[in-house]
Amino acid sequence: MEKAPAAPNPDYDLLRPIEDPGKSFYYIVAVLLVIILYTGYVYIRQLYYGLGVTGMAQPVTWGFYIINFVFFIGISHAGTLISAILRLSKAEWRRPITRMAEVITAIVLAIGGLHPIIDLGRPDRMTHLFFNGRLQSPLLWDITSITAYFTASTVYLYIPMIPDIAILRDRGVKPRWLYEFLSWGWQGTAQQHKVLDRAMNVLMVVVIPIAISVHTIISYIFAMTVQPGWHSTIFGPYFVVGAIFSGIAAILVLMIVFRKVFRLERYLKLIHFNYLSVLLLIMSLLWFYFTFSEYLTGYYGHEPNEMRVFWYKFSGAFAPYFWTMVTCNFLLPLILLSNRKTRTIPGILIASISVIIGMWLERLIIVVPSLANPRLPYPTGIYIPSSTEWTLFIGGVSVFILGYMMFARFFPVISIWEIQEGRQESTKAVTERITSYMPDPQPPLAKE
Amino acid sequence: MKNKLIDRLQILSISLIWLLFTGIAVWILNLIKESLRLHDSPDASLGISLVAIPVFFTLSSVLTYVFIGLRKGRRKDVEH
Repeated sequence: MEKAPAAPNPDYDLLRPIEDPGKSFYYIVAVLLVIILYTGYVYIRQLYYGLGVTGMAQPVTWGFYIINFVFFIGISHAGTLISAILRLSKAEWRRPITRMAEVITAIVLAIGGLHPIIDLGRPDRMTHLFFNGRLQSPLLWDITSITAYFTASTVYLYIPMIPDIAILRDRGVKPRWLYEFLSWGWQGTAQQHKVLDRAMNVLMVVVIPIAISVHTIISYIFAMTVQPGWHSTIFGPYFVVGAIFSGIAAILVLMIVFRKVFRLERYLKLIHFNYLSVLLLIMSLLWFYFTFSEYLTGYYGHEPNEMRVFWYKFSGAFAPYFWTMVTCNFLLPLILLSNRKTRTIPGILIASISVIIGMWLERLIIVVPSLANPRLPYPTGIYIPSSTEWTLFIGGVSVFILGYMMFARFFPVISIWEIQEGRQESTKAVTERITSYMPDPQPPLAKE
Repeated sequence: MKNKLIDRLQILSISLIWLLFTGIAVWILNLIKESLRLHDSPDASLGISLVAIPVFFTLSSVLTYVFIGLRKGRRKDVEH
């Protein structure tokens, strides 16, 4: 059945990247595809020659791939977790942010989850897990929790997208069959809204513990060993805090880029950046607290093996990385975000990029020094990443950018129906909510 | 014809969700069976399965509820 032309949408700005992506979109996609193809070639070369083409050797048997695995999975906490918390707490300013954040999770999880396979010299042996895996191993907990998180995040991204997909279907955007298939006959009836609300309520509650469990379990890969620098009881929460921290920074960078490229100033206002950057500042302070607690406990115990790793980070070969990490994760965000004059878009961008770099360095500092200084009487190890590892890292980042661009090409990155719902219902809902928790006026005294 | 094809694809996607759940449940149950056979700390395997299987079951159920609910909630007089 042919449809009449759709009425002009008041939020056309959000549909423009889909209906009119522009030539630059295709140029960037082409460049990214070239990088990804070259990365594929480099990976096949690694498969052919083995892990000897990487910088990994005894005793440092984990390098860039595991660092990037932890880093990418950490970034994934940007989306679903933060979105679920904002939705649950009924923070109205969440509306233009949640989907951008949720997309990060879905893409980054897929990239991060592949890294342990890239780290295997014989990836075909992954199949052994299905028949001979040991559920006692934290590595298997990881696979289970990442799969659960990926499934939950994708579902959590998709379900609130259905009304927007229906908008695209009704506007006749191509490929029409895709939007018809994905919209499940959405017509915006009261019954359909009820179904969507119920499902979202269940998902919000389910997704938060799954997200927290993912990074806690990733920390267990390290903490369940008795390696100096890893065997720590606070590693679970420390990793979760770091993940949320880097995740918020990633959302802020993406928001700034999208605001600029797609001229979304009407939707992504300064107040959104202000709220999120204050959250980033709080996470920076929390991160510093955890880092301080972690190293103080180790230093106070003064166990010789622990101290070797400690000094390796504080004043040894890894000191430049360690102090850069402290500057990027704590000093710069503190200076830029605690001052109103510097808490501007450029200031927030610098602080966010600094946090992303700092958090990557944190993963490097956790993984390598403990392996380079083993408990057994071996000489200190050396790890210098090879061009193969650098290429695969750049390839991973390119896959992320391409994935995000492709998503933005086919679906709105800001939820149109939630914005419209907010305009129509938020003021009334917020007023009712405030009235419900404000103290009732004092009853008039009997004398009066 | 096109509508029928989309309907079938949608039904297929619900089946795939349950296939994923069944696959994961069978995998975990197989690992428990192995740990029991080898006397290899089966309690840890049981613990993981107690968490993982209900999580995937919940996710599959929510998706099925949404897909069926949206189809049932359509107005009868409008066709897409």
